[in-house]
Amino acid sequence: MQLQLLPRPETRNQKPETNIQPSSAGKSADMKNLCLGAAVVAAGLLISNPYHLQVLTFIGIYTLLTLGLNMLMGYAGQISLGHAAFYGLGAYSTGILTVHFGWSPWLTLPASILLTAAVAYLVALPILKLHGYYLGMGTLGFGMIVFIFFREWSRFTGGDSGLVGIPALALGPVDLSSRTAYFFLVWGTVLAGFEVCGRIVNSRVGRALRAIHDSEQAAAAMGIDTSRMKVHVFVLSAVFAAVAGFLYAHMINFISPNSFDFMTSVRMVTMVVIGGMASIWGSVLGASVITLLPQWLHVFMDYEMLVYGLILMLIMIFIPQGLVRGITELYERSRTR
Amino acid sequence: MPQSIVELQSISKSFGGIQALYDISFKVRPGAIHAIIGPNGAGKTTLFNIITGLYRPDEGLVLFEQNPIHGLAIHQIVRLGIARTFQNVELFASMSVLENVLVGHHARLRSGFWGAIGRWPRVRHEESRAVEHAVELLRFTGLEELADQKSSDLPFGWQRFLEIARALASDPKLLLLDEPASGLNAVETSQLGELLMKIRERGVTLLLVEHDMSLTMGISDHILVLHQGRRLAEGTPREIQSNDAVICAYLGKD
Repeated sequence: MQLQLLPRPETRNQKPETNIQPSSAGKSADMKNLCLGAAVVAAGLLISNPYHLQVLTFIGIYTLLTLGLNMLMGYAGQISLGHAAFYGLGAYSTGILTVHFGWSPWLTLPASILLTAAVAYLVALPILKLHGYYLGMGTLGFGMIVFIFFREWSRFTGGDSGLVGIPALALGPVDLSSRTAYFFLVWGTVLAGFEVCGRIVNSRVGRALRAIHDSEQAAAAMGIDTSRMKVHVFVLSAVFAAVAGFLYAHMINFISPNSFDFMTSVRMVTMVVIGGMASIWGSVLGASVITLLPQWLHVFMDYEMLVYGLILMLIMIFIPQGLVRGITELYERSRTR
Repeated sequence: MPQSIVELQSISKSFGGIQALYDISFKVRPGAIHAIIGPNGAGKTTLFNIITGLYRPDEGLVLFEQNPIHGLAIHQIVRLGIARTFQNVELFASMSVLENVLVGHHARLRSGFWGAIGRWPRVRHEESRAVEHAVELLRFTGLEELADQKSSDLPFGWQRFLEIARALASDPKLLLLDEPASGLNAVETSQLGELLMKIRERGVTLLLVEHDMSLTMGISDHILVLHQGRRLAEGTPREIQSNDAVICAYLGKD
């Protein structure tokens, strides 16, 4: 192995930690996952207030959404303003199959993943040929269409009044409907999602995605099939949203179109931006902020859109790299001073 | 007739009403350093972009090792063994020096999404071989000690060298360099010349578009001169330097 390419002392000083070596990046990610895992176990065992548990579970579901969208936006640099559609597709396919057709939820999980992935693939083929604003508009349009479909196909979706009676989850004899059990289920999935994303980011595929973000032209000149890669990451992020939708539907046992409207898509983008583009860890933070803000700022209820907009603006102006990196950099600067 | 690695057969290309290339035929011999020169707007970059698959010729054929490649996607052409650098250095700015070279190796690696998630032994093995390969190229280009630096933090001259290392990482048979000396000072240009000779010794054929005449004349085996989309002259540096038509085109005499 010729891996002993530590820079000489003088270059080492200039550079904070950019753990580039695949092995070391993997190790620090493992450590972080362990810490998060420990935090999740501690929270699940110590917190007994059902309301708090539910809020934390929501944060977990939003984290999954953010994680998936971050792979598309933060790493591959492709925007989607219609991602709530995939969240909804995951929720509605499991909802419809369990309520109207009596399927077991554990069968509907692969079914909703496959269905969402198939839709994402078919949509991605034409839509990812677009760039910038046009891609934003295209995905926005797609999100609207799916939203209208949820609302109008009332025979199966229940229309505006929603789909009632989605069963709770049970794993054999173990009932997962308790708040604590569901908390562990959701956060266990989040941890698995972290591991999956971490592995992808530090791989050939992850490098290719980041390369597309930096320069699509150069990426193609390196032999990267950029359109194929973009379609794949789009499908991946849709699958994350579908899993989140599945977990959401079986947690609330009721879904209605409004949970998957344009505002939800915007909220997802906001979570990615707040946490930090291309930051897996930012996903938790972004999801937490956006879930907790409305709880804390009840005063703003009617002005939710305004507050989100303001937060987005402030973050883009002052810490465009997102909260996680912004704070890390502030900390490093204060330490070196 | 010498074997050719790339052969252009009567290539024409126009953009709207502007005819960028008229009926250009050109052969690149394997193992040699070729240069395309000509005043601005002569069609050099267009020709480059036709070989790398960015543009399709309106007429004519591009043969790589006797097989037609015009019409293939850019990434397919890279896989066949043609790599390139850009006139205005196009590095992956958010990535480290080492990662840039690893991306260059993309076409020679196989693991995809499932491999990344599963991290099978085969994938890990491939990854560590890729890192070794990249480190070897960084050593070759003299950038080894900068492996962990962010690529955008490098001085411009080193960015150029990194771009060459990245292009070499795809194990090309033919390397196209678009004005590799632009923005380099005299010392860096002569280092570049040495590097290009070393690359040729590795068995890579080179084709460059270049404005720096001392570099071009010093290292090229064969030069094609374009003028307003037409072939003006072709030959060894010595022949080109004494060619009347070339002198006229460059100095504007008649």
